[in-house]
Amino acid sequence: MRRSTLVLLGVLAVLALALPVVAQLPYHRDLVIKVLLFGMLAQAWNILAGYCGQISLGHAVFFGTGAYTSTVLQMQAGLNPWLGLLGGILLAVILSQVIGYPCFRLRGHYFAIATIAVGEIVQTLALNWEMIGAGRGLSLPIRPDSLAAFQFHRSKYPYYYIVLAFLLICLAISAWIERSRLGYYFRAIREDSEAAASVGIPVTRYKLIAMAFSAAFVAAGGTFYAQYVLFLDPESAMPLSLSILICLLAVVGGVGTLWGPLLGAAVLIPLSELTRVQFGGTGRAVDLMIYGALLTAVAVYQPAGLAGLLRRAWGR
Amino acid sequence: MGLLTIPPTDVLIQGILSGILMGFVYALIAAGLSLIFGLMEIVNFAHGEFLMLAMYTAFWMYALFALDPLLSVPICALVLFGVGVLVYYGIIGRILEGPMLAQIFATFGLGILLRAAAQFLWTPDFRQVPDAWVAGPVRLLGISLGLPLVVASLASLAAFAALSWFITRTETGVALEATAQDRQAAALMGINTDRMFALGWGIGGACVGVAGAFLTTFFYVFPDVGSTFGLLAYVAVALGGFGSIPGALVAGVIIGLIEVLAGLLIAPAFKYVAVFLLYLVVVLVRPQGLLGKF
Amino acid sequence: MNRRMRGRGMLAALAVLVALVVPDVASAQAPEVVIGVLYPMTGPVAQIGIDARNAINVALDIINNRHDLGLPLAVEAGLPRLGGAKIRVVVVDHQGKPDIGQAEAERLITQEKVHALFGAYFSSVTNTASQVAERMGVPFLNADSSSPALTERGFKWFFRTSPHDRHFSVVMFDFLKDLEQRKKVKFKTVAILNENTAFGSDSAKVQEEFAKKYGYEVVARLPFKTGSPSLDAEIGRLKAANPDVLLPSIYTSDAMLFTRAAKNLDYNPKMILAQDAGYTDPKFVAEMGREAEGAVTRAPFAMDLATRKPLIPVVNDMFRRQSGGRDLSDVPARVFTGFLVLADAINRAGSTAPAAIEQALRQTNMPAEQLIMPWTAVRFDETGQNTGVSAILMQLRGGTYYTVYPFELAAQEVLYPIPTWSERK
Repeated sequence: MRRSTLVLLGVLAVLALALPVVAQLPYHRDLVIKVLLFGMLAQAWNILAGYCGQISLGHAVFFGTGAYTSTVLQMQAGLNPWLGLLGGILLAVILSQVIGYPCFRLRGHYFAIATIAVGEIVQTLALNWEMIGAGRGLSLPIRPDSLAAFQFHRSKYPYYYIVLAFLLICLAISAWIERSRLGYYFRAIREDSEAAASVGIPVTRYKLIAMAFSAAFVAAGGTFYAQYVLFLDPESAMPLSLSILICLLAVVGGVGTLWGPLLGAAVLIPLSELTRVQFGGTGRAVDLMIYGALLTAVAVYQPAGLAGLLRRAWGR
Repeated sequence: MGLLTIPPTDVLIQGILSGILMGFVYALIAAGLSLIFGLMEIVNFAHGEFLMLAMYTAFWMYALFALDPLLSVPICALVLFGVGVLVYYGIIGRILEGPMLAQIFATFGLGILLRAAAQFLWTPDFRQVPDAWVAGPVRLLGISLGLPLVVASLASLAAFAALSWFITRTETGVALEATAQDRQAAALMGINTDRMFALGWGIGGACVGVAGAFLTTFFYVFPDVGSTFGLLAYVAVALGGFGSIPGALVAGVIIGLIEVLAGLLIAPAFKYVAVFLLYLVVVLVRPQGLLGKF
Repeated sequence: MNRRMRGRGMLAALAVLVALVVPDVASAQAPEVVIGVLYPMTGPVAQIGIDARNAINVALDIINNRHDLGLPLAVEAGLPRLGGAKIRVVVVDHQGKPDIGQAEAERLITQEKVHALFGAYFSSVTNTASQVAERMGVPFLNADSSSPALTERGFKWFFRTSPHDRHFSVVMFDFLKDLEQRKKVKFKTVAILNENTAFGSDSAKVQEEFAKKYGYEVVARLPFKTGSPSLDAEIGRLKAANPDVLLPSIYTSDAMLFTRAAKNLDYNPKMILAQDAGYTDPKFVAEMGREAEGAVTRAPFAMDLATRKPLIPVVNDMFRRQSGGRDLSDVPARVFTGFLVLADAINRAGSTAPAAIEQALRQTNMPAEQLIMPWTAVRFDETGQNTGVSAILMQLRGGTYYTVYPFELAAQEVLYPIPTWSERK
């Protein structure tokens, strides 16, 4: 890596570590935490969609799996949430393979709609499953602040650092994928999966691998969310709107790039919070109008997303 | 929960009939979507919001000018034709050669914008046409069914017939179909493909306009009304095969039937689970959908 | 791709982030009381939020200005024991999402420096938002969430003025037993039809519990997705199960669709005993009132109690002016009452210190004459639940609701059974 890049990354690292000090108010810290969380979710989606070209519109199902697994294990079996986190990841990865194996046979739009179908099916099942609280949801038992219990009430610092760590791991693995043979195969599949198959690349296997990585990080995000909000219900943990949001962040930010999804989250999440706070209280949905208009504009005028915009602005 | 409960025969027949009729309505909503996709391989993710606009149009024609929704049918068709053409020239035309992601999210953003704008302009309150000309039950062979639904499904069949006639018997329609089959060949034959695309969007809009007007006779209108109907429409198009209009008809009816039968025989909570499961099964066995071309 | 560009891009994003979190300069505050209000202002249930906002505006008008009314804080302008300080609200939209409710509660407390929180309709959002309040030691008053669990958490700072699902179920099932005696009939079976998110699920669970307790057999349990395009399958199941009593817990849109579908498919329930929500929405009454003839619903509030409570028409007029012509209904009535209770407590506390307000809330004892609700009083027990609650049941007759239970308060006799569709021609 070039020296200037290392310096830059170092500066970023310092800024990232120091952010909680700068962001004094819990509300702002919450915003930053949300940005990092959604940035990770978007990047996870990006692994499957951006690198490997499979557009999933049902990713929230992994989020919900992670959140519910760690929560149910905690509430019913007293399992430590960190172990529950691993359990959630495992379950989500298995689920991703179960979904992916048959569905990867489908092309483009058919696949996308299949992922919506799976998402809706799982959400409906969750809404009717008494053991996990059905429509009423689950309220996590409040425990005193501790890393082991994965709950912090006096301050948001620990949450911030945990989600930052998750994000960095996700970015590191994505960067590694990008550079490795795996990434090369993914790109080949994305460009033309038939051609890739004809040169001997086991297409389905690599799609499944991408799906596994993708699902794992989304599930981790789900567990984090459960420990952060301390309340779960199928409406908030696995709605279609969450799946859509994840895609949007990645697309607006710049799909297929390493920093695009995080950039998308960094711009769109505060924007939607801002417009909701400014305009939402009147019930006039001005915030959503701006959101929608912006999305269309980006898609039409700058399909490479904000990352592409920046690239253009500063010239190659 | 996995037990089947068999209802009495008359209830079963009533359910089957109403499911099929509702299916025709789903089919009409899906038809426009299928047409657009057949032409240019773009899924209009704002299709549900088009339906919502059509329903609001019919509602306001009623609220402001006391026009029964049946009379608003041509108005809605025209308005949505215009909307479709506008969306094509304003948005879609610019991203035809763009990446698939951009094509998906352009209409997605439009959908969000339309939904929010509807709430901004008309509040999230539910609107109904309380005394449409067609209202109340009607008895067919001793089975009670909703008259608005019967009328809507007949209209839907008529619309499909008209669409089919248009595509096979008129010069423009044939040109449209040719463009859908092979864009380059059509262009070589002197067909203005740009105009064909716009026309496709217009007709797609008009179909949903007609569906919306009829839907307003028995369903309530509010900014989010497009979401569930839209989702079922996507499934119908994919089930029937993207680009196949007869496929949309068949798939719509199947969805309507499964919705009711699953509700009656298994449990209403899983109505849509059954629909989505069916989609998955069909599409895995036949990846291009029931009647799809590719 | 050029790494320098990428890095600059990241810097830009970070700059955006930092710019947003630089703490605001605190603005000078006039002496006033600030209350944070959380409701869904967008989305399918946004009308509830709008109604709530209008109800609060009416309450603010009464509190902050002079009115010659028998309501607390009406006569003087502002809060007398705080030197006439006025109340200001900050209304936020939680969009029905618990995590937004949580974030907004934090923002309201730490940034807007509210002295108390009020809201939030959805039990799930009230849950997370009040957790924040509990953590930060700020009073949270809830006037409209019906999940019993909310007052079972052992919270110190959470207060609820409104009845919850169990109170309602007691009234509803007592009604069935009393009706059996009055009309010399016997109910054996019930069916539960509920929308499948928190409200409907909660309600259905409690109803199942009570059905068993009162000796009724549940012949159909039908959760469904709110906003469904078609309820024909549900109607089919109900026709097949043929319960003596139907217990719907559904929102307005579904109530309208259900009523129409019942007519079209010729489903004739003999008794409908609804859990409020859609059935008490003025919109439903206005448009489907005649079709839904005979439906009975639990209601914390009823307009026809105006004969016994002269305050009701006065407040209703004010509400109509705020809302552009909508009448008071269940939710805004409860919001209005809860808000006044909160304001009254702040006044009695004589200070905006949280502990003082909490103490004052505990000592609340608002008598029936000062309430537009048919309650005996507002008095909180150790869990923060108002014990003076009562509910009434009302029935739709000719497009208007009339109180029918308790029989002593009834304006009309109960119509049983509901006439069939063919009889109604």
